[in-house]
Amino acid sequence: MNFPQQLRFAGKAFKRDIRAGELRVLALALIVAVASVTAVGFFTDRIGRAMERQAADVLAADLLATSGLAIPESIAERAKQNGLSVAEHTRFPSVIINADDESQLVAVKAVTSGYPLRGALKLTMIDDISKPAPLDSPAPGTVWIDTQLKNILAVNQGDTLTLGAMDFRVERLIQFEPDRGENVFEIAPRVMMHADDLDASQLLGPGSRARFTLLMAGEVGPVDEMQDWLKETMADEVRVQSVRDGSPQLRRALDRAQRFLGLASVVTVLLAGAAIALAVRQFSLHQADASAVLRTLGASRTEVVTWLALRLGMIVVLASAIGIIIGWFAQLLLAQLLSTWFSMELPAAGLWAPVIGALTAFIAVAGFGLLPVLRAGRVEVMRVLQRDYSGLDTSVFVTTVIGLVATYIVVLLQSRDWLLSAIVVAGVVVMLGVFALFGRFIIKVVRSIAGARFRLSVAGLQRRAGSSVVQLAAFAMGIMALLLIAIVRVDVLEAWEQDIPEDAPNVFVVNIQPDQVEGFDQRLDSQDINVAGIFPMVRARLASHNGVATVMEEGNTRQERRARREYNLTYSDAQPLGGEVVTGEWWATDGSAEPAWSIEEEWAGHFGYEIGDTLTFKIAGVDVTAPIKNFRKVDWESFQVNFFVVASPATLVDMPATFVTSFKIDTDFSTTTSGWAREFPGIAALDIGAIMERVKTLMDRASMAVEYVFMFTVLAGICVLLAAVQSSQGERIRESALLRALGASHQQIKHAVVAEFAILGAIAGFLAAFFATVVAWALSRFVFELPFEINGWLWIIGVIGGAIGISIAGFLATRRVLVTPPVVALRNTA
Amino acid sequence: MNISTQSTQDPTAASTVLSGNQIEKSISGPSGVLTILHALDIAVPAGEAVAIVGPSGSGKSTLLGILAGLDTPTSGSVHMLGESLTELDEDERARLRAGKVGFVFQSFQLLPGLTALENVMLPLELANAADASDRAMHMLEQVGLADRATHQPLQLSGGEQQRVAIARAFVAQPALLFADEPTGNLDSGTGHKITDLMFSLREQLGSALVLVTHDDKLALRCDRRLQMGDGKLAVV
Repeated sequence: MNFPQQLRFAGKAFKRDIRAGELRVLALALIVAVASVTAVGFFTDRIGRAMERQAADVLAADLLATSGLAIPESIAERAKQNGLSVAEHTRFPSVIINADDESQLVAVKAVTSGYPLRGALKLTMIDDISKPAPLDSPAPGTVWIDTQLKNILAVNQGDTLTLGAMDFRVERLIQFEPDRGENVFEIAPRVMMHADDLDASQLLGPGSRARFTLLMAGEVGPVDEMQDWLKETMADEVRVQSVRDGSPQLRRALDRAQRFLGLASVVTVLLAGAAIALAVRQFSLHQADASAVLRTLGASRTEVVTWLALRLGMIVVLASAIGIIIGWFAQLLLAQLLSTWFSMELPAAGLWAPVIGALTAFIAVAGFGLLPVLRAGRVEVMRVLQRDYSGLDTSVFVTTVIGLVATYIVVLLQSRDWLLSAIVVAGVVVMLGVFALFGRFIIKVVRSIAGARFRLSVAGLQRRAGSSVVQLAAFAMGIMALLLIAIVRVDVLEAWEQDIPEDAPNVFVVNIQPDQVEGFDQRLDSQDINVAGIFPMVRARLASHNGVATVMEEGNTRQERRARREYNLTYSDAQPLGGEVVTGEWWATDGSAEPAWSIEEEWAGHFGYEIGDTLTFKIAGVDVTAPIKNFRKVDWESFQVNFFVVASPATLVDMPATFVTSFKIDTDFSTTTSGWAREFPGIAALDIGAIMERVKTLMDRASMAVEYVFMFTVLAGICVLLAAVQSSQGERIRESALLRALGASHQQIKHAVVAEFAILGAIAGFLAAFFATVVAWALSRFVFELPFEINGWLWIIGVIGGAIGISIAGFLATRRVLVTPPVVALRNTA
Repeated sequence: MNISTQSTQDPTAASTVLSGNQIEKSISGPSGVLTILHALDIAVPAGEAVAIVGPSGSGKSTLLGILAGLDTPTSGSVHMLGESLTELDEDERARLRAGKVGFVFQSFQLLPGLTALENVMLPLELANAADASDRAMHMLEQVGLADRATHQPLQLSGGEQQRVAIARAFVAQPALLFADEPTGNLDSGTGHKITDLMFSLREQLGSALVLVTHDDKLALRCDRRLQMGDGKLAVV
């Protein structure tokens, strides 16, 4: 036969397969797999993007390019060519003067039209803060100010303020500025003006200390491209910042959510793979007869193998198409549900998900089906005709190796992480081994103690589970995946809730002078505001590491820029709240400690510092040198005052310092802080409640997404369990018919079937609980970085839930068995 | 041949254990309704061995299925052990069979997960009989497989599997035994031994036998032979 003939021949057989329901189980498994992979893929893609966009609010853009010099025109041009929208802002300190000649140092932000590209400013009138009064951007000749400046200079609507060489009319009060949180220690009050007024106001002379920022936003692809291009070619001119390197709180929330969604989809793929493996093996065994007959009729081995492989190929194509369509609709529904949660249009899905879905189906079928198909083609004809199938299913080792390679590729497609995929596959190998060993052992034990009542069930169990490790493993893996996702989900959600405690501070007060500390403390007391402490803050620049200077004048490389940055240091006897020492030891707390630094772990890793290295900071012209004594892990989500660098008091006590504190208020920010600026000149109170609210909202939405994906994984898991049960249905039907002929009642057969699945489910649940515990520990420890506790419920839910769940699934899937007329037993089937 | 095999221990030996009146069976296929059995009558007295012979496709197995209550006729009635099968539902028919009716199939039909002994125990357990294990073991001894009691079906040869199946068929001392081509899957030597075994056990226990076969030699060992043809039975 030439190939077109073979194709026609296979096509005819395929049509018959569909009519006869021969491929039903495999098709179901494939459709479930493709649909769930596609839906979860589409979904995580869209949700991921939505969450990134939400996080983008904090930058007011998807991508920032910042520099101390004007941003080269070429960058904005390229961004526009790439289809990105752009805006600019320029920030610099200046002094503003009111009609009474009172002056105040302010942080000016001159923005172009279009700012902010992501998120939105919240504006009100100066005198009426009760309702929003939106405007697109400050009109030339006008400024917008924040509450702090309003309080300090007692500004009213329409007042005139002088900035540089120009007078500006005050138009709006800024209640919320999306990218203000970028640097909460930018302490001076905000004045926002239009960039077009920069020249006329003569605010930017040569040598003025301004930060120029180009904001860019658009589709993910072009943004990523732009970011890569900037990092490759413009790294010396500009500092590039994207959503992912935004604020640490948001970054971690986003990372965790994405890791979880990734985990859920990897688990879905694994489950689906197990079902496909079962179904394709079953198909090949069924086809052994037909293959043998074709061989006796003169077909070559190659022709038989081609015939089988083509049919598998056809089912992959058909099932993938159906699965992708179902997956598409599932995610549409999902997006519909979530758009209300996200209060935004979800970004369109990429094309990656359906490709992954179809590839998953193809690779899983090829990986698990290739060998059985080859075997079916090569089988000795006489053995099949004599109904001796023992040779068809022996090489567990080779099948496993090929199956694992397929699993690896499929997981890799999903996770796009070589190492993670290797760990997952290694985990699966260990699990399958343990499931096989202990599964067989436990079944034997159960069998020896089961009485006549359960003998039938346990015998069926031993026969089916014993003949195929995969069958028991599919159940155990399914239950384990569900338990695991359930625990991890609860843990992730709880950790998120704890991340922002109810009493997290929503006000920061900075720039408190040493002689104001006592008075301010009393003032807070009188207003019934509790503070954890008022901490010294010393501004410093990094000078040298182990004696090697890090500062180079006028250089503009990343390293040099980092070195020129100003850092806020603090000093303390006691260990600060919201941080623990991970390497090294804390110093003596009685004030006797030698000069030493305590460095935040990630920051230290970034610079490549080791314990015992010496660091020199330049503080107000003085070099301060001390050794690094320990590394600290800092819980940034605590919203407490945190520092990258903490010193022992002896190191910094003589240095000029201002003080900083944070606390929570339930009253209105403006009212609470109204008298402070005049009573304690120079101090700045910052409202971070709004920023915190955004972080909280983001976390809430991420956790909803997690809940939804979890439900999807559960559904996929249940479908896959059904598919696994169905693959042994033919055998069960024959058996049930025989028992009926021998006089067994419906009831007896139903009991036997349910008991078999219940026992299987309990064993699988027990093994699953064990592995779920181990994996959950590893995930908590290494991936999610959350504390882990052994959960006793896991074992109870695993065993009882496994027994009940599997027996319901088994019963539903084998209902047909119960209505099989006993006359089937008379038909000549082996 | 007309040898009496009535058991002296059985007081109801003279009564009819199985009868079918005006049995019809038709199935609807792609080319219209096909009638397999035409108004067919049969009666089997207790202890009698009846052979139903005929070519392939003549409806022998369909008739066997209906007589055993595994299948239902389109019309007509079947009485087994004093009960009208046509008035019972499937579960009630199963209960009637349990412990009183034995089967020997062409393809043995042993349950692969159970040992030989457990396979033989099955009918007793389904009928909630006491001392199932002892009685099953005794039966295995009678078919000469006591030393294979703990083996699983796949570890036994075809002849051994059929001997286990025969032990299973007789273990509950059934009043009625159905056999569907019991030697069909065996070589002639083994088939002969199996036949001997089956007939000797039947004589010992006084069970009536309905045997479907196309093997004339096997049919000749029965008390009565009925020829199946055109959906009807004729005495040979």
